[in-house]
Amino acid sequence: MAGDFRDKFAIVGLGMVTGRHLGVTARTLQVEATRRAMEDAGLKREDIDGSIDLRRAGGSGDRPGWTDAFPRALGLPVKFYFTLGRGGALAGLGIITATKFLELGIAKYVALVGAVVDWSQSQEAKERVKGHRGMGRALTKEGYWGKPFGDLRAVSHHSFFASRHMYEYGTTSRQFGAIAVAERQWALMNPQAQMYGRPMTIEDHQSSPVLVYPYHLLDICQVSDGAVAFILTTAERAKDCARAPIYVMGIGFGEAMEKLWWEKHNYTSLAVETAKQQAFSQAGIELRDIDLAQLYDCFTGEVLFQMEDYGWCEKGQGGPFVEAGHIGPGGDIPVNTSGGLLSAYHYGDLTGLSEAMLQLRGEAGERQVKDAEMCLVSGHGGELLSPGMCSIHTSSVLRR
Amino acid sequence: MVSARQWDKPLPNVDYDIEPFWNALKEHKFTLFRCKRCGAWYWPVACCRNHENEPFYGNMEWAEASGRGRVFAFNIHNVAFDPVFKDDIPYVYALIELDEGPMFGSNIIGCDPSEVTIGMPVEVVFEDITEEYTLPKFQPVK
Repeated sequence: MAGDFRDKFAIVGLGMVTGRHLGVTARTLQVEATRRAMEDAGLKREDIDGSIDLRRAGGSGDRPGWTDAFPRALGLPVKFYFTLGRGGALAGLGIITATKFLELGIAKYVALVGAVVDWSQSQEAKERVKGHRGMGRALTKEGYWGKPFGDLRAVSHHSFFASRHMYEYGTTSRQFGAIAVAERQWALMNPQAQMYGRPMTIEDHQSSPVLVYPYHLLDICQVSDGAVAFILTTAERAKDCARAPIYVMGIGFGEAMEKLWWEKHNYTSLAVETAKQQAFSQAGIELRDIDLAQLYDCFTGEVLFQMEDYGWCEKGQGGPFVEAGHIGPGGDIPVNTSGGLLSAYHYGDLTGLSEAMLQLRGEAGERQVKDAEMCLVSGHGGELLSPGMCSIHTSSVLRR
Repeated sequence: MVSARQWDKPLPNVDYDIEPFWNALKEHKFTLFRCKRCGAWYWPVACCRNHENEPFYGNMEWAEASGRGRVFAFNIHNVAFDPVFKDDIPYVYALIELDEGPMFGSNIIGCDPSEVTIGMPVEVVFEDITEEYTLPKFQPVK
């Protein structure tokens, strides 16, 4: 298998829209990000013949309305358009799907884009409902088990992981906090990050409100507006694009259902094992070959588990590992160099994909990791409590 | 008991698979999905993993369970993400490992949130919220 997939496909265009966009639709953010990605790649409207709309499609549905299709608004002559995604797992699923269309010759250039207007919706909800906090639509979301019990947000069940890891391995809140601080240090070097210009210390973390024990406010990700688009093509066509290609070396998938819920293995780790094995074997690499990593960080705990699950440290040793400064600026494995979902912006794993592109192109400004040649991007998402902690993990290895 | 009009929190999300579970709760019975062939317990509906299954869960049935378990993981909500929960904070939402094996998500009530610990034995308590619905919550075993 190794070498069969590696470097056959490449990302040739990136388009990002960050910042706050009250009064702008997700559709328009998708259109603008895609327009930027096409411009970045030096491609014309008529070149884009395939499209994938990356949506979380979780409990809230996030289904497109009848006017939503971004290729229609852009006038792209696409052969296919559909929605894809599971929670924060968007880019990895999008890439592997698009490669088959390219391989079969159904498409030459596939545009993939995801957009969120979570921040705008939270502002609108605040106007409507006094006392509302966080993302919009707390009560209209269907499909989750725990709504009547007050399981209203991802933190209402993701915090179980942290609670269990603390119980099994003695992990502390300060150790989770060390992750938040490290990512904030990266965000201070990213002018587009929502927390740019707002330094944070471990004391700030510890004194921030314990919104949902064991998580403090500063263990929890940002609520964002924005969009990320990218264009995937074959390695051969990539050579003719405007920018140096970023190659897909390997891609892999894991699912918490595999370690079936009754075995109760999947409460202190993510489904990294098979995803890593597939991606690294296609790429023909080992963990030490990875220069930097963009790991899904909806909460601080998810980063800690991945440090262990990928093997940067032993299971249970994630706390001391992150406290020792390995993942922040100057560390030996830079993690979430944009500031991540915690301190930059939350576009699912498109946050990690966009940062990987910027770093591998050498365009990350003050936060640029020296000699960044190979980057890992992970995605995560799905229903967590009902039925039984099912959640996808995606692992993509990119190189310049 | 309050009427649906007074109950301003979310109601359970009921489909045909889980309907018998909610109907049993109305009679204050806590049921799980059990294999008639080998007695293994599941929640929610599932095929029995110990052997081949009959069509449409034919070898499975909803059966009354102990309603007991232990706290496996938990959190304490100090914030109401929607104002309809503001009178409840701080409240505990927990993952409970039932004595029969399955995991179950519910509130721990009947004690101070600070008293909840992982491994704590708990038992079901029925909270009639409307004429239609009864919530299975859990309290420390006395």
